Amino acid sequence: MNCHEAHEQMYGYLDRESGVVRRLRVRWHLYRCPPCGKGFSFEYALRLRVRQGCRDELPEELSHRLRALLREQTDGQG
Amino acid sequence: MPFAPQLYSAALRMTRNPTDAEDVLQEALLKAFRGYHTYESGTNLKAWLYRILTNTFINKYRERSRRPSEVELGELEDLYLFKRLGGEESTGGATRSAEEEALEGFVDEDIKGALESLPENFRMPVLLADVEGFSYKEIAEIMDVPIGTVMSRLHRGRKALQRALWRLAEERGIPA
Ligand SMILES: [Zn+2]
Repeated sequence: MNCHEAHEQMYGYLDRESGVVRRLRVRWHLYRCPPCGKGFSFEYALRLRVRQGCRDELPEELSHRLRALLREQTDGQG
Repeated sequence: MPFAPQLYSAALRMTRNPTDAEDVLQEALLKAFRGYHTYESGTNLKAWLYRILTNTFINKYRERSRRPSEVELGELEDLYLFKRLGGEESTGGATRSAEEEALEGFVDEDIKGALESLPENFRMPVLLADVEGFSYKEIAEIMDVPIGTVMSRLHRGRKALQRALWRLAEERGIPA
């Protein structure tokens, strides 16, 4: 596997969607090719940063309103 | 309401404003509550809830715009942000590279803004995969599109997200 092929496999690899053989071939390339290793590592770090940056708190007021609404539904059903 | 905070965050990314996010979440939770008998126990509850949330959002907002926004993004290269942050030139060895540290220069509002700047057909798969951690197959089911479409939109959406972040980085002078 060369660098170009490794890049083509990058998302499948990072998403854990590629099969065992492909995973191993990608991993072997990353082991032997530090530049690709760094690139993959960066993509992974970016994903963690995106995930971490997209959490919002449920506003208290909304939470109360939703609870009340669902309680109403339960009561309505007897 | 075990998934409510997570669903609210997702609704914010979809609608891009708190008022609409509250409406979508409320409507989705009511639908889930009323349709709970259609949920097959043992299957993925979270994916089921996100499917309802996504449908609620699409039905509500497709009415407004009529046409789904099938915007194209143009071709973007792999490792777009990594290369611009100087990743190719920097020397390795450190446990944490300079490019990875540069990511800490973004505040959460930057990340949210960059994701929200993507057209809907790219924003949804990136949100579902990278923020919520769903598999390609789950996303295909949630969005009701073929798995190949999920993959191509996800891949292009991620690069567009990187371009949006890079624009912010340039404005802000990251890395300092
Ligand atoms: Zn390589």
